Amino acid sequence: MTTPRWLLCSHKHQTTTPRPNNTPPTIEPPQHARTNHSNPLFTMASLTKLNADSHLLLEQPLLRFPHDLSRRNFKTAQRYLENGTKELTTTLAKATKAASKSASPAASLESLDAMIQKMQGMKRKLEGLHEEELRIHKSSKARLQYLQDLYDVQSLDDVKYEDWSQKRLVRLLVDYLLREGYVESATQLAESKGVNDLVDVEAFVACHRIERSLREGKRTAEALKWCMENGQGLKRLGGMLEFELRLQQYIEMVRQGHEAGIGDGVNGLGDGGMSLGSGNGASRLVEARLYAKKYLSASDDFELVGRAAGLLAYRPWDGVEPYASLYSTDRWNHLAEMFLDTHHTLFSLPVRPLLHIALSAGLSALKTPSCHSTSSVPIPITSSSTPICPICSTELKELARNVPYAHHTKSIVESDLMMLPNGNVCGSDELRVFNEKVGTVAGWVRDPLGGRSGEAWKEAAVQKVYIL
Amino acid sequence: MDELREQIELLQGSANLATSIDDVQKTIELLTAARAKIETEPHKAPITLATLQSPVKASLEVAQKDLKPAYFGLNKYGKALDKKFKDKPLPTAENDALSSHPHLINRAIAMHLLREGQFSVASTFIDEANRNPPHPEPTPGTPNPYLNDSWEKDLAKDALDSKKLQQHFGAMYHILHELRQQRNLRPAIEWARERSDVLEARGSNLEFELCRLQFVCLFVGQDENGHMTESAEGPFRAWAYARSEFGPFQIRYAKEVQQLMGSMAYWQNIVDSPYRQYFYNESAWEEVALSFTREFCSLLGLSADSPLYIATTAGAIALPTLLKLQNIMKEKRTEWTTQNELPVEIPLPPSYHFHSIFVCPVSKEQATDTNPPMMMPCGHVIAKESLDRLSKGARFKCPYCPNESHPRDARTVFL
Ligand SMILES: [Zn+2]
Ligand SMILES: [Zn+2]
Repeated sequence: MTTPRWLLCSHKHQTTTPRPNNTPPTIEPPQHARTNHSNPLFTMASLTKLNADSHLLLEQPLLRFPHDLSRRNFKTAQRYLENGTKELTTTLAKATKAASKSASPAASLESLDAMIQKMQGMKRKLEGLHEEELRIHKSSKARLQYLQDLYDVQSLDDVKYEDWSQKRLVRLLVDYLLREGYVESATQLAESKGVNDLVDVEAFVACHRIERSLREGKRTAEALKWCMENGQGLKRLGGMLEFELRLQQYIEMVRQGHEAGIGDGVNGLGDGGMSLGSGNGASRLVEARLYAKKYLSASDDFELVGRAAGLLAYRPWDGVEPYASLYSTDRWNHLAEMFLDTHHTLFSLPVRPLLHIALSAGLSALKTPSCHSTSSVPIPITSSSTPICPICSTELKELARNVPYAHHTKSIVESDLMMLPNGNVCGSDELRVFNEKVGTVAGWVRDPLGGRSGEAWKEAAVQKVYIL
Repeated sequence: MDELREQIELLQGSANLATSIDDVQKTIELLTAARAKIETEPHKAPITLATLQSPVKASLEVAQKDLKPAYFGLNKYGKALDKKFKDKPLPTAENDALSSHPHLINRAIAMHLLREGQFSVASTFIDEANRNPPHPEPTPGTPNPYLNDSWEKDLAKDALDSKKLQQHFGAMYHILHELRQQRNLRPAIEWARERSDVLEARGSNLEFELCRLQFVCLFVGQDENGHMTESAEGPFRAWAYARSEFGPFQIRYAKEVQQLMGSMAYWQNIVDSPYRQYFYNESAWEEVALSFTREFCSLLGLSADSPLYIATTAGAIALPTLLKLQNIMKEKRTEWTTQNELPVEIPLPPSYHFHSIFVCPVSKEQATDTNPPMMMPCGHVIAKESLDRLSKGARFKCPYCPNESHPRDARTVFL
């Protein structure tokens, strides 16, 4: 390890440091961390070993989402079939009764035709769901195969791992784009990389249609329909989405009532003293009150229900709290967020995009104090031998500014470092190769950073650096 | 994995809606048969309908019963998933340091797509992102993301609006296409020649490597556009090429040029000559392509591999350690994302190290701008703060050898 290479004369340890004979040497051999990770916890083999199981941390939604979708698909089928059965048996019983009573055979034929049509309609619906079911299973199978591929790779250095990880990045990107509502680019990227089975474009498109209907369309109908379709799951979750949607529906009815009331001319009774008179606005308010009774009164949030009731007395333009905030259009953004949250929780999707999670961890694992250093020499731009660090690269530099840098317990430096008289440090091999190449006179050295015409020093002025 | 696959195959094969659909079809047939009967024997309508009731009911009950395999199959698959992901919770928002910087994320993605040559996806994305700008969300480290929002937006706009990057990468892919598919070196050589000075300052051999490959191609009988010619003329063309083009390389690559010229002696039978390796090297094209990509990106200040790829991959490797850590830190009410330095070491493969790292052997702290590594006259290096502590401004003994020195003799090491 301590074998001096070509610059033996500058090896000051042996030439200038006298060592007392009776004490054991305290000099440890220098560590060459680049080739020798001396931390016993991390041997080279353990550093590159691929643990497929722990890699699954990012892959759970990949399998969960289609499973949840196929469960919902199944429940829809079950509901159709149950309702269809009930309906058919009642209609058939009615038709039988009617026939026995005197109805003409023509009437019997007619009701049979209706029944056949109903059944055919149900069959078509079930066939649609069956197709969807098979599509989901096919994609689940493709996903399992994709994960299986990972189990077949042993090392992080394997080019197969790189292929796999490239595909994962595409998936994470498509997932991110879909979450942000960038559907066009998500679809294009998935298609161009052939990962359609590994991403959930349709499901996210449906999700965003509903989100936009709230945020931009200011409509509750689509979201409420979604709540109906996912009733069981939502009940298990116990969220407030449906209640909040109903509340909004009520708020809008009250708002319309008050606005129509201006036209009716019965609405000017002063602060808080509005009575429900006659007219268009008034009847809308009555409707709203009935709606609240039906959908809101069951809530045990008495404070909120009380506030909701108060809306009947306070008009949107009165600006009286706590009612004004219920009238605020900000509530639509709140509902949109709430819907997304509920949707993602229901389908086991992480709250934040997995791309963020993976990147956050990766930025920190790669970041070093040098990446945002203001004092160190700008080596990355000038030297061809060092690849540019991904954190220092324009793409990630600002993004990584506020994340913690990686922790190291051992130095990682090139082996056999030499310090030149100008203070620059350089590996002895690199120094030798450079000086041979530029034809420096024997016994002299030039700094690779200084180029061919840089200053030359005597070899003796170059000093070995010991990094423990 | 096998268990999950078996379950899915079962769901695909039989445990699905197909049987129930058949049952519904049978019900439809029952109804149709009854209809036909009433048509031919109208007077028997009441009895036909009455006897229809229980078969129809039974048939639909069967349809419902036949849903069971699908129901159980889905449940079983769900349980198998639970088992597979036991102890692997979904990463929570505490592990997200980036939602507060959505514009920078979008910028990184746009640049990634461009560098991968996905130009049309990139332009669609940039379009969509401009139409619907992302909303920042608070993160543990940046609870008030709106404060920086407009600054980040401006920074990101540069990358998002600029067609420059696309032009750059368009040029890069054109040259790479010519290299890899057309075996045409000319565009690459022209590119390198225009940047000869910068490349040389970086210590890059690209231009010479390209010209050497051109020489080899000519030698074995291709013309300068990559087309095969009368092979006997090859060595002469190569020789002419060397005479006109190798001048600038004479000093820096004297040895290599000499070798190439030496090969001329074997022009009739290069295969058996000592120079065979230069002439029949299958990977030479891929090597110059990679070396070209690296230099091209470096001159733009970009790393050769996509930083987004390297960072997400490193992140996936780091995540198990960080999530384990998170459970410990939760008790102390801190998040790893808000620290200055990660509290644990992440075991990354050596290919993920890009900077030299100096850890002071005395304090075990990493060197920073304010605490740089210092070399004592004996050659041992410790961090500046350790040096100050040990020396207290006066002569002191190196902790690793008997050498004594004054702190003012220590020199900052730029790693
Ligand atoms: Zn860096
Ligand atoms: Zn020492």
